Amino acid sequence: MIATSTQTVAGTSVALIELNRPDQRNALTPEMLRELVEAIDAQATNHRALVLAGRGRVFCAGFDLKLCKAAPDGSVMRELLTGLSKACTTLRALPIPVVIAAHGAAIAGGCALLGGADLVITNTDAKLGYPVTKIGVSPAVSAPFLWQAVGFGAARERLLLPELISGRRAHEIGLAHELVDDRNDVLDRALQRAGELGAKPPGAIAATKAWLARLEPAEQQQRIHEALETSLSLTGGEEEQRLLAALNL
Amino acid sequence: MPELAALETNGPIATLTFNRPEAHNALSTEMLSAAHMRLDQLEASTDEPPVVLILTGAGRSFCAGMDLKEVIIGDDPGVPLRLLESLARLTHRLRLLPMVVLGRINGAAIGGGCGLATVCDLAITHADAKLGFPEVDLGLCPAVVSPWLVRRIGPGRARTVMLSGGVMSGSRAHELGIVSQVVDSREDLNAEVDRIAQSLAAGGPHAMRATKQLLNSLDGSDNLDILLEGAALSAKVLATEDAQRRLKARQK
Repeated sequence: MIATSTQTVAGTSVALIELNRPDQRNALTPEMLRELVEAIDAQATNHRALVLAGRGRVFCAGFDLKLCKAAPDGSVMRELLTGLSKACTTLRALPIPVVIAAHGAAIAGGCALLGGADLVITNTDAKLGYPVTKIGVSPAVSAPFLWQAVGFGAARERLLLPELISGRRAHEIGLAHELVDDRNDVLDRALQRAGELGAKPPGAIAATKAWLARLEPAEQQQRIHEALETSLSLTGGEEEQRLLAALNL
Repeated sequence: MPELAALETNGPIATLTFNRPEAHNALSTEMLSAAHMRLDQLEASTDEPPVVLILTGAGRSFCAGMDLKEVIIGDDPGVPLRLLESLARLTHRLRLLPMVVLGRINGAAIGGGCGLATVCDLAITHADAKLGFPEVDLGLCPAVVSPWLVRRIGPGRARTVMLSGGVMSGSRAHELGIVSQVVDSREDLNAEVDRIAQSLAAGGPHAMRATKQLLNSLDGSDNLDILLEGAALSAKVLATEDAQRRLKARQK
């Protein structure tokens, strides 16, 4: 469910990792997230940049809720939340530039993955957001990454308001960094930008990424941990199970 | 020899001008020392100190960044680190000044020069000015100025800007929040900066100082250690063979 390949962009070797479950809008399963983390670890060492994308009409529609609904003890939801946090931190720790091609839609867990990127590209009409309180899930797991990207005010609004925003609005608030008009152009643009960033001196890029991590608040790692714990604390609870059971999937 | 940094005071408004126009006001040890001296002078002004400090460059450029002659390692390998530390301390002093610092970004503001623009409380440029942080393109790490860029535009956008390198137009810098305002053409800049300076100077000086001080404490601007740590890191990356080779190629 994860496809990996090497793309050569203007002579620069770029790892392309694609969510590959197009018939389910790349809905994330625990296995997919494990494969994703493995792929990031395996691909990163031999390339100058990494692109994360999704095959089919959209980047990622979030967690596979059918699986979550089938496990009323919350076990699948827990695996998904833990895997998601791990995927973001693994991406973030890479010494090479990470570009995410978020075409069409990046929703809930799919939007959370953007937290691992150095550069996010989307299309004007894409749908992005974290509408998960509707199903009794706390998007807290995304908060430490999101507030780094968009600041406290916009993060508060996005995490509490279970509505989606357009790619254009995501670009305005800083959740995405570049916009293209057509969703079919997002991946090409992402590969092109990854090629450009990957062509820069790797030592300087790695030092700058490490320094940006140093400039994060000292408690950032602790916050990422607490954020995951907050989301985990609700799994398998009455509210989540009731709202999930009512979902018409 | 003309002053490398000039200070003029006109009532509540003072202007500090980098004055090496033939070198696009590139940051040299001497010019930075001159700027430090002007700040000594400014900090010593007791009765009715200025309320606004305009920071600008003489000639067509604001500041082209580090002087290549001083960052290419020669007889004294300690020069780049001392230069970077002097810049780090200058940015810190500018930020901690009691007066509001208004950047008149009259032209190119590159690397450390763009960093100085982001230290200003407000900065105004024109649409065609060239701004940016091309450090990574030269194998360098913009570690001294990145804390200021992060405070200015947030960590997410700062990450994209620093890793992307290159330069951008004044208009794009305004969209990203690197400058607070942009005017259409170079000819319009002085009048607009004067207008904003007058408007700032009309504010109560105590209220302005208290507000600036609070903002500095909220965003960690008083942290000199992180800037000096950044200077050490920048100097270390700058001394690598790769960076030195690229800098020499740029000089030719």
